[in-house]
Amino acid sequence: MSDSILITAMTVGYLGIVLLVGLRARQGQSSSLEGYVAGGRHMGLLVLFFILGAEVFSAFAFLGAPGWAYSKGAPAIYIVAYLTLAVIVWWLIAPHISRLGRLHGFLTQAEFLSACYPTPRNVLGLVIGVISVLAMIPYLTIQIAGAGMLFEAATSGMIPFWLGSLLACGVVAAYVYASGLQGIGWTNLLQGLMMVVIAWALGLTTAEQFFGGVGEMFQQIKSEAPEYLTMPGAGGMGWGAFSTAILVSALGCVMWPHIFMKFYSARSERTLKRVFILYPLYSYLLVPLLIIGFAGVVLLKDTPLDSPDKVLLTIVVELADLPAWVIGLALSGALAAAMSTAANLAHTSATILVRDIAQFHPTLRDWPEQKALSFTRYGVVAISLAAYLLALANPGSLVSLLLGAYGIIVQLLPMLLGALFWRRASQTAAFIGLTVGSVVTLYLQFGGTAPFDWHPGFCGLVVNTALFVAISLVRKGSGSRSPVESLSTSV
Amino acid sequence: MSNLKRLPSKGMLLYFAICTLAMVWPGALIANRIDPIIMGLPFFIFWYVAWVFVMFIGLIITYRQEGQEATDDE
Repeated sequence: MSDSILITAMTVGYLGIVLLVGLRARQGQSSSLEGYVAGGRHMGLLVLFFILGAEVFSAFAFLGAPGWAYSKGAPAIYIVAYLTLAVIVWWLIAPHISRLGRLHGFLTQAEFLSACYPTPRNVLGLVIGVISVLAMIPYLTIQIAGAGMLFEAATSGMIPFWLGSLLACGVVAAYVYASGLQGIGWTNLLQGLMMVVIAWALGLTTAEQFFGGVGEMFQQIKSEAPEYLTMPGAGGMGWGAFSTAILVSALGCVMWPHIFMKFYSARSERTLKRVFILYPLYSYLLVPLLIIGFAGVVLLKDTPLDSPDKVLLTIVVELADLPAWVIGLALSGALAAAMSTAANLAHTSATILVRDIAQFHPTLRDWPEQKALSFTRYGVVAISLAAYLLALANPGSLVSLLLGAYGIIVQLLPMLLGALFWRRASQTAAFIGLTVGSVVTLYLQFGGTAPFDWHPGFCGLVVNTALFVAISLVRKGSGSRSPVESLSTSV
Repeated sequence: MSNLKRLPSKGMLLYFAICTLAMVWPGALIANRIDPIIMGLPFFIFWYVAWVFVMFIGLIITYRQEGQEATDDE
């Protein structure tokens, strides 16, 4: 019991520090919308690196990723692969997003795309905005629920689920409300360092304590359960499913609005590229977490877990003989992963809610800046509250909503690439590709069987791109300039 | 207005294409074994860890190449 008190005290203390850092970031900040949403387009290398790291490494890093290694084995490495390959796509696209955002004052993803492909009454912007929020709220809910679950497990139930998730959600909402992207930046830096240090410490300690080292651990898995160490793994994930999951995640990653919109915040294009150079190294954070999952293959052989996502918690809290303060630190590190992602999701969703949905119509665009800023702040609180309530209610359809909505967002990629790089890109072709690609993805996700076991989103992208290219080529006349070039000359 | 054609050189695009192929079918097929265990990791896992580093090096090279050509931002 006294252990639980110590763990709780440490974690609450940690949350206090995060809150303090987040609130202090407000100082010296101009109170403009651009400042609140995009850090005044002035974010530097260090902070931006940790923001992008925090966005991608969510509660999944400490729960789902070890769970994959524990239940499936080798295919779990797909996460490392896609995070690394995603950087290639960022490298090609992000500098343009950043430059055009500065030039035209864009703050959201929908604004960018609807400027490249203008529609009557900005219908495209509204649709993208609504689907984005539908994808991000379930994602945020999962982070908040993950925080609640971590709290409950690490304190042996002393902090119940509802209170743990409320604490995490409340702290995030408070500093995002007060400090916007600056608050997110400095807290993500703190949380990112926590995550890296704690992940490595836990991974190496686990291997050392139970097996005498990482090499010894894998030797033992090799003799007891070698199927976990190569493809197709223990769950039988084929090369088709594995490869297309890597490709679609690497390609689609850039289309997550909270990632896309961070490109606007960079100080310069060179800064962005420096962030991207370092970025692949961030995926090494997953290696120790996967090691813990692999440890579970041997350690939990006789008592398999119902829910693989609990493998890290089970090993660290129950099996390993760790002092309470280490568990307190471990909990803080895992909370850092969940909360740093949550902050970005709440911030981005609120921006989209106000700018793309409430203000979607061109006549609503000229709200005074302070009014738009206040509404965005209220949006942060409203969205955090909604996600908290959803976490308590835990509707079963949440993951389906996330997969479905995100599946559609990924289908915006071909038209984005067309807008940036292709003079013959036709608007009609882009819309047909987007629509058919989305329908194919949703059908394969929720009903049909994909050919060769391919990822549904990948099949959608193939059909989408083929239609976009073919119809653009057939349509005559479109073309001496790419959509982005037309945009630039019309200013 | 700077031009939009600022892509990495052909050599580097090939380099990144190889990185991609190494991590998916069919490139990753050749790494699908347990031995040798390197740095404590089974070969299949080590393969990915190593390619992350190869990517990192490639990005540094691209950045330096571009830095010599483009001076129009910042």
